[in-house]
Formats: sequence, structure tokens, C-alpha cells
Amino acid sequence: MDIQFWGVRGYVPTPSPEYLRYGGNTCCTSVTGSRGELIVIDAGTGFCQFGDALLEGPFGRGEGEMIALISQTHWDHILGLPFPAVVHVPGNHLTIYGPDSTRGSLGIIYDGVLSPVYSPVYGLANIGATHDFRSITSEPFSVGGLTVQALPCSHQDDTSSIWSYRIDEGDSSIVYFADMRYANAQMFNDAADFARGADMLIHSAPYTRAESMRDSAHSRVEDAIEVALRAEVRQLFLFHHAPSRTDDQLDELLAHYRAELAAQQSPLILEAAQEGVKISF
Amino acid sequence: MRYGGNTACVEVRVGETCIVLDAGTGLRLLGNAMAQSDAPPPERIHLLITHTHWDHIIGFPFFEPIYDSRVSISIYGLRRTQPSLRATLANAVSDPLLPISLESLNANLAFHEINHTMCFSIGDHIHVSAAQVNHPYRALGYRVESSDGILVFIPDTGPFHTILFSDERVVWTGKPAPLSVEEQRALARMREAIVKLCAGADWIIYDSQFTPEQYLRFPHWGHSTPDQALDIAREAGVRELLLFHHDPHRTDAELDLIGRRYAQQAPPGMRVCVAYEGMELRREH
Ligand SMILES: [Zn+2]
Ligand SMILES: [Zn+2]
Ligand SMILES: [Zn+2]
Repeated sequence: MDIQFWGVRGYVPTPSPEYLRYGGNTCCTSVTGSRGELIVIDAGTGFCQFGDALLEGPFGRGEGEMIALISQTHWDHILGLPFPAVVHVPGNHLTIYGPDSTRGSLGIIYDGVLSPVYSPVYGLANIGATHDFRSITSEPFSVGGLTVQALPCSHQDDTSSIWSYRIDEGDSSIVYFADMRYANAQMFNDAADFARGADMLIHSAPYTRAESMRDSAHSRVEDAIEVALRAEVRQLFLFHHAPSRTDDQLDELLAHYRAELAAQQSPLILEAAQEGVKISF
Repeated sequence: MRYGGNTACVEVRVGETCIVLDAGTGLRLLGNAMAQSDAPPPERIHLLITHTHWDHIIGFPFFEPIYDSRVSISIYGLRRTQPSLRATLANAVSDPLLPISLESLNANLAFHEINHTMCFSIGDHIHVSAAQVNHPYRALGYRVESSDGILVFIPDTGPFHTILFSDERVVWTGKPAPLSVEEQRALARMREAIVKLCAGADWIIYDSQFTPEQYLRFPHWGHSTPDQALDIAREAGVRELLLFHHDPHRTDAELDLIGRRYAQQAPPGMRVCVAYEGMELRREH
């Protein structure tokens, strides 16, 4: 599997000099299987560069097929979808899995997001690629040689629905936890079970526990590490960085928690997700 | 990183009065700058919205002053039969798209729906007027006039070859649809009103997203080229044209070239510049 980060920022894009190394685009990560299966997890603004990179291949000719897994319908996870040219090339096909919400299915949400007051696309029907929206469930499904599994998670006061994803190919696996909050011990157990033995855990971690007075709705850096340790994953990528977190601060944060892990003689590899970086295993 | 990657947001200060033009991602930086400043945040902020496409409202929930109970924000935008300006913003920021609601904000918000025939004053020394521009589903351009100067803000408009401002989406078939006499007149009137809005301005900040080649491929998107911007600026006799709303793919190096090329084409007495993030404009007395 090849994993590539296209957007790693949470909440809002931060295109300023102090964020250039880790990147300012919002959530988007691609997973490519060994047979070329293409899955993209979340479609924040990083989806624009992801789409542009596809123009060279079958997507440029209207012969592309991709699966999108949407974790939640907040702006930083969905707003990039309509922008890249490949989405408007007839013949391309998108299958988009995501949560139903208080305002209806994901397709209805996107139709609203693309309505003429907000977008010159004037509604979902005018997206040139064919598209098929599906409500995500916990039932595993296959994409070529990849197996996708989803886990429902909570957020805020549970009004919006959040899903985490796990993708397995043979012995390799990647797990993605975006924007969830651990409300109780049971959630930690469920998350650790879901992530068990993964090669790579991508975990939303915008703030540390000390900072999280500011935002109690998101998992903290310490939560991500705890789940990674309990699940015995090989490497943890902190993700969904806070808009206020500069490159230098991320370096510092990483150094601090790496030192803690080293002191515990933990084999866990700790990284911060960085736009453009590709990991293969 | 030189010209910047944030979407449309321009701050206008006239004395103590704070006016903000559009609420793109740049609005977050303005809010941060206000929070970091030694001066208290302005008690009242006037936010003038040209239209509610995502790139013009996405900064709103990340603007610190909306969480400050000492602040009042007057939000101006286009009146539609429906939805209302308030509902448009409320729907964008509430569940399931974001976890906030307009009611939950600490700042006091007041909405003012306007149209292109209305002029209004902010305080007793700033006059604002508007014109309708050629952009999908309608948008406004603003003129802000005070003793400090005249600024016109038209971040999104196409030229005046095709009607883009009707309720229906324009489907581009590769060649322009023939226009009725009535449609030609409507476009000519719109252009005239825009030239009038810009007349004698110190600065016009004008959509120049496209290269001429791009314009030929996407005329229905509602964006202009620097040449089209320059035509308006020339006719309106403005002092300085700021090319704005750069295409997301336009690199700094390309913008350097564009800046050089159009600076040379500016008629005597006019300056043409490429707008960049952090740029400040001030009338030299
Ligand atoms: Zn998020
Ligand atoms: Zn627009
Ligand atoms: Zn725009």
C-alpha cells in the first residue's frame, strides 16, 4: 500500500509561511493498493492537489475510478471535492461513502454545499464525473484486494456522525481516526481494538491535554498516543493539526513526545503527518 | 511564498471605523491580528459580502471577534427572494457542516440585505454604493468612499459577453449563445454601472483570475482577465488597478510576469499592481 498525505490541517486551511513544511491544506489522504486500487480518505482542500496529480493518468482521459471515504461532514473534510478538474471529466467515476446526518444523506449534504448560493456548480447533478453516494455502515467491504472497515465514533454532543476507517491489504493495514473525542473508557477500548496491530495509525490530535481547554471536542495528542500504544501499532501519525500550530511548534511537540516514548523504551514510531509525504509498506 | 494563498478578504480602515470586504480565509488572519494588537478590538465591524461562494465566506467561523461579546458585526450582502443572507450563513456554519450556530456566537450580529440600487452610509463620513456584477447566481461589487479615498472592490465578475447572473446555470457548449437585443442591453447597462461605480476611484480591486486562454475555455465561470480589468479601469479613469482573485494554480513567478506586463500597459496616470497578501494601500496626500 502507498499512503500519501495531501492535506493534514484541521478546521481551516492555513496557507501562510509558518505552515509550509507540514502544510496548510485540510484533511485528505490517499491510499493506493498494489493493484492500483485508489481510495481517498476525506476531501478537505488537500483534495484539490490530489485531484490535479491524477490528471496525468486515466482520470485525465475520463477512465478513472476512485473510492472516497468521508469521516464526517465538517468543512475541513468535504469542501475540496468539487474543485479539481478530474471531478468534472465525464467518464470518471466516484463512489463516495460517508455518514448520514441530521440534514440527510451525504449526497443531500453535498447537493446543498454545491447549491448556487455557495457554488458556481449549481448542485451535485452538474458534477461531470458519475458519482454514487453510499451510507457508511460497519459492514466490511472490498475494493479490489483491499478490505475497508468503518467504526462509528462520537463528536461534540453526538449531533454529527463521525466514522473512522481501517484498510487492510494482506498483512498491511492503515487506520484513520479523524476528529473524534474519547468520551469514556469504552471508546478507548473500541478504538484500540479497531486499530489493533496496524502498520500505520493516522490520528487526529490538534491539541495537547494541557491546551484542550480550548477545544474539548477533539481527541488530544495524549489520547492518540495512548490508543497507538494499546493497539500496538507500528507508527502513529499525528494529524488534523491545529491552525495555530506552526511548523516549529510541531517539531517541538514531536520531540517532546518522542523523548517520552524513548524514556518508556516504547517501539512506537511517532510522526506528524506532513503534506506531500508518501509512505509505502 | 509571496503573493499568498488565502482567499478574498480586504480590511478598510477609515479613522476608527473598520470595514471588511468579504470573509475568505484571510479573515482568520485579520481576527488574529486584532487579537494580538495592543488596541482593543473595534466595537463595531462592518462586513460587506459580495456573494456567498465558499471562497468568500469560509473565513467567517474562524474570525476571533465573532466569539467576543464586546463586538457588534454588521453584515451586508445581496438581497435574494430566498434564502435570506442570514439563512445562507446560518446553514453554512451549523450542523452537520460545522458545530456552531449563529445564535451561539458571542458577538452581536446584524444583517443588512441590500441591492445594487442602494447607497448607505457608515458613520457620517463613509459612503457605500454597490453594483451588480456578471457572476453566477448574482454578486455585488462595492464602492467605499470617504475623505481618505475611494476604493472599489469587484473580486468576482466575468466580462460582459454572456449573461451569468440569471437563476439558471450557464452551460458552455464551446461557442457563445446568441444574445437577444434585450440581453445585449442588460449586459451593456451592467457594464456601464460598473464603470460608473469605479469612476475616479483611487483604487479598484478587480477580478483578473484568468489568462486570455483560460477565459476562452471557461467563459461561464464568471471571472475576468487582466485585460478586461484594465479596460474597465481605463474607462473609469482610476488611479490604481489591483489585479485580484488569482487563479489557485497561478504561481508567484507567473504573477511576477503578469505584474510586469500590465504595469507597462497602464495608461499615463494609472498604476497596475498585482495584489498580494499583506499589501497596504494609502493615499499619498
Ligand atoms: Zn476536522
Ligand atoms: Zn464567486
Ligand atoms: Zn471568488
